[in-house]
Amino acid sequence: MELVTISRRNNPFRKFGRKALQSKYLIMMILPAVVFYVIFNYLPMYGIVLAFKSFNPIKGVINSPWNGFDNFKEVFKDPNFWPVFGNTLIIGSVKIVIGFLGAVITAILLNELRMRRTKKTIQTIVTFPHFLSWIVISGFVFSLFAYHGAVNSVIEASGGQPVQFLRNKPFFFFLIFATDIWKEAGWGSIIYLATMAGIPQDQYEAADIDGASRLQKIWHITLPGIKSVAILLLIMSVGGVLSAGFDQLLNLTPRALEGKIDIIDTYIYRNYIGEVDPSQVGIGAAIGLFKSVIGFVLVITVDRIAKAFGERGII
Amino acid sequence: MKKQQLERLPLRPKRSSRETRIQGIDIVICIILVFFALLIIFPFWHAFVISISSKDAYSRNSFLLWPTELDFTAYKMVFSDMRLWNGYKITLLLLFVGTLYQLFFTVITGYALSRKKWVGKNFVMNMILVTMFFGGGLIPYYYLIQSLGMMNSVLVMIIPGAIDTFNMLLMRNYFASLPAEMEESAKIDGANDIVTFVKIFLPLSLPMLATVGLFFAVGNWNSWYNAMIFISDSSKWPLQMVLKDMISEMSSQMETPTATETFSEGMTMAAIFFTIVPIMCFYPFLQRFFVKGIVVGAIKG
Repeated sequence: MELVTISRRNNPFRKFGRKALQSKYLIMMILPAVVFYVIFNYLPMYGIVLAFKSFNPIKGVINSPWNGFDNFKEVFKDPNFWPVFGNTLIIGSVKIVIGFLGAVITAILLNELRMRRTKKTIQTIVTFPHFLSWIVISGFVFSLFAYHGAVNSVIEASGGQPVQFLRNKPFFFFLIFATDIWKEAGWGSIIYLATMAGIPQDQYEAADIDGASRLQKIWHITLPGIKSVAILLLIMSVGGVLSAGFDQLLNLTPRALEGKIDIIDTYIYRNYIGEVDPSQVGIGAAIGLFKSVIGFVLVITVDRIAKAFGERGII
Repeated sequence: MKKQQLERLPLRPKRSSRETRIQGIDIVICIILVFFALLIIFPFWHAFVISISSKDAYSRNSFLLWPTELDFTAYKMVFSDMRLWNGYKITLLLLFVGTLYQLFFTVITGYALSRKKWVGKNFVMNMILVTMFFGGGLIPYYYLIQSLGMMNSVLVMIIPGAIDTFNMLLMRNYFASLPAEMEESAKIDGANDIVTFVKIFLPLSLPMLATVGLFFAVGNWNSWYNAMIFISDSSKWPLQMVLKDMISEMSSQMETPTATETFSEGMTMAAIFFTIVPIMCFYPFLQRFFVKGIVVGAIKG
């Protein structure tokens, strides 16, 4: 009799059921999340199979015939795709670098500023643009740089010839990077400032006694103090290098350059969304998958490298 | 007390003198930062001046540092523009309904994941973390929304955003940092998990709730992405989409002007202020909540 009860108690299913019952309220609280993540994140992952199918809207995603890697071959053969990929890589990686530098430099300057009130005011101002949408910023940009905009007014007033800023590709790249710093440098500096505030003051005092200059203190104390946070944030941003900023590109691209400078996301949006030829759907999905896989591989690689150098990774 | 001071004196330079001594480099730093701040303020100021100038003044010179001919027609036109008011209505709906909806689901998920071991916790946690690094992409998502019947519906701007992973982890870390003894004593008094959450943990996490709620609120105020992709009916557009439309009209007007009666630049700038003034008014007072959110999130996350 006793043997039976013991074996019943150890029955893995019963054990599981008993444990689940103990935390039934927590499970009730997590259930909506599971449903949401399955529907809105995992079902689209299942949709990746579209990349390996020739999509037929009548048959639906599941019943459309497989076509192996044909979609990918199509993508890699497409002469339009590689410039887009190149743009994405350039814009994405330059933005990571300047975003990082902008945030760190702003943080160091704010940290070194000794006038407390000024510091607070400036911090409020420089963090504010983060809360604007790229739509609003595009309004500012066009009013400044359009052919009949403010900058050309100044040029003309000082006797120069007006410039077609918004038809100029190199200028557009500059605009992307400049507005990115304008919008995010202040916001990005917050985390570094908080880290700097956590550096023990006695390190600076010891350096003072040794007669270190401001610059030496920044180089030997402040920068090493924010190193691990910086590496952590860099790893996180590397995974998004191919995202490169859909919102920004879509809104800032002037009409004259529309379709001429695309990144992967805007390329997919312009060519494969909405009323499109069903044969194109698989190709669009293949581009999307290509992007996701590269991002994933990059995060893992950078994480490994960081760990090899003795830093805390994220995975 | 006196002994302590004596000990400190030779070792540490007096703090106050170190703080107040302003060197040349401080002035340089100050100038750089003030310049950066002015660079940020300038587009706002310039847009504001355009919005309160007359069309004539603007067409003579589009670089306006100071309003020469005050004219509020642009604002009159903006306030009588039904598209904008309609967009405002949709945006307010997103702001209130969307924010509460997101807050509710994000907070309960964060709480459940902050509790000690329970069956399936690790599984769910990993399932959520994977989505931070890998996704299906836009096209499968597009067909998902289509098959859920949410095309062209206001719901598409609310329903899918129930849980934001970053904010959820923020809440989870906060709940996990509160002393676990409170939960134990509540359990001993016979409270279940939901009662413990509502009566004990929720009241203690109001500052963090405010932070996460504000992140959601700003996101909803600025939301346009889902509307652009899934909503073609412009009467269901939020404010930002209406603004996007106006800006693209304005930019083509500014590249190749056609003779029109309306002052589309001034009107667009006025519309921009119509959408950012609420954030501008609240931001200085709410800044600390945002700062707190990003600091807590990045250091612990």
